[in-house]
Amino acid sequence: MSETAATGQAATQKHRTGYYIYAIAPADVATTAEARGVGDPPAGVEVIAHDDIAALVSEIPADHALGTPDDFAAHARLVDAAAQEVPILPLRFGAVLPDREAVTEELLAANHDEFADALQHLDGRAEFIVKGRYDEQAILREVLAENRTAEQLRAAIAGAPEDATRNERIQLGELMTQAVAAKREQDTAALVKALAPLGYDGVIREPTHERDAVYVAYLVDTDGRDRFRETVEDWAERQRGRIDVRLLGPVAAYDFVGTAQPGS
Amino acid sequence: MTVQPSGGGGALNRPDASGLADVIDTILDKGLVIDAYVRVALVGIELLTIDARVVIASVDTYLRFAEAVNRLDLTENQQKGLPDLVGDINQGAAKSRTKGALDAAGEKLGNLLDAAPEREDARRERRRTQ
Repeated sequence: MSETAATGQAATQKHRTGYYIYAIAPADVATTAEARGVGDPPAGVEVIAHDDIAALVSEIPADHALGTPDDFAAHARLVDAAAQEVPILPLRFGAVLPDREAVTEELLAANHDEFADALQHLDGRAEFIVKGRYDEQAILREVLAENRTAEQLRAAIAGAPEDATRNERIQLGELMTQAVAAKREQDTAALVKALAPLGYDGVIREPTHERDAVYVAYLVDTDGRDRFRETVEDWAERQRGRIDVRLLGPVAAYDFVGTAQPGS
Repeated sequence: MTVQPSGGGGALNRPDASGLADVIDTILDKGLVIDAYVRVALVGIELLTIDARVVIASVDTYLRFAEAVNRLDLTENQQKGLPDLVGDINQGAAKSRTKGALDAAGEKLGNLLDAAPEREDARRERRRTQ
């Protein structure tokens, strides 16, 4: 633990609560009295300011684990709502500091210039996420049509008992996995290329599902949102029936913030 | 999972709110990280949830893919007579399967998480005794 906590006299109290951090924001960020954060019952949300930057926090019991779906939703809702109003540096879920001094000194003061620069960079921008998943039937048919071995394996297992064709099934599945991965790479490259003329930064995310086709986050100007949406729509139209494309956002710029080194 | 197409039935879905799976992808993997030592209170749960989400190519995945291929109705390709009808049905079925899988993932995660506080307590107990 930090030296602050080790200094002693109020140690018991310090162990009872912690400060859950949602985001860094400009100091003039406002929270409503109704704002609810993580925990059960949901904790209130407050602003701890230092100079011209601030942290959005909840004081939470330190001996309660977080991580229910409600906690995730609360974190995302609060951060994204704030990001509609002001530039926001969203924190990854799960950051807790022991006390207010740690929030002010170790987080805000120690990283002030970096945070202030990052907030300025994010002003007037928001993140959009393009997420596409292959239609199962469409992608399997596509691979079978292109891959002779896959088609042969399909024919071998068709109508045969599962136990008797286990090896063929594993081979076919492995082949499919590889083929889908190759298509994911191609389609991601195609999407990135289609959006490249708009000139926005993009971050390719790791797939979180075996049929994920594209998963790319973009940092988009407020002025450019419509054109960005239209371009994604055009691309989605060309993939209709093959890839189910969704556009998430605007959300806080989760993919465009880095790591903060806590000061001492 | 609420997926509501907007803008007049285009190919692009623009959900009003992110589903749990989307939220988890974002807030557990992305966002500003403060040095690890201040995150200890929650680290057990975080690892657990990330484990549940990583795509790992395993024999199970392979067998699932193979079974999906085995279930494919290939008659559609041979009988060009009723492609529209069959196409619609297949598409509908595929869509609902996708959603079902997502919901199931969310539920599974929920179950894991319900069980998680105990693990967290256990970890803490170990830490105390060290």
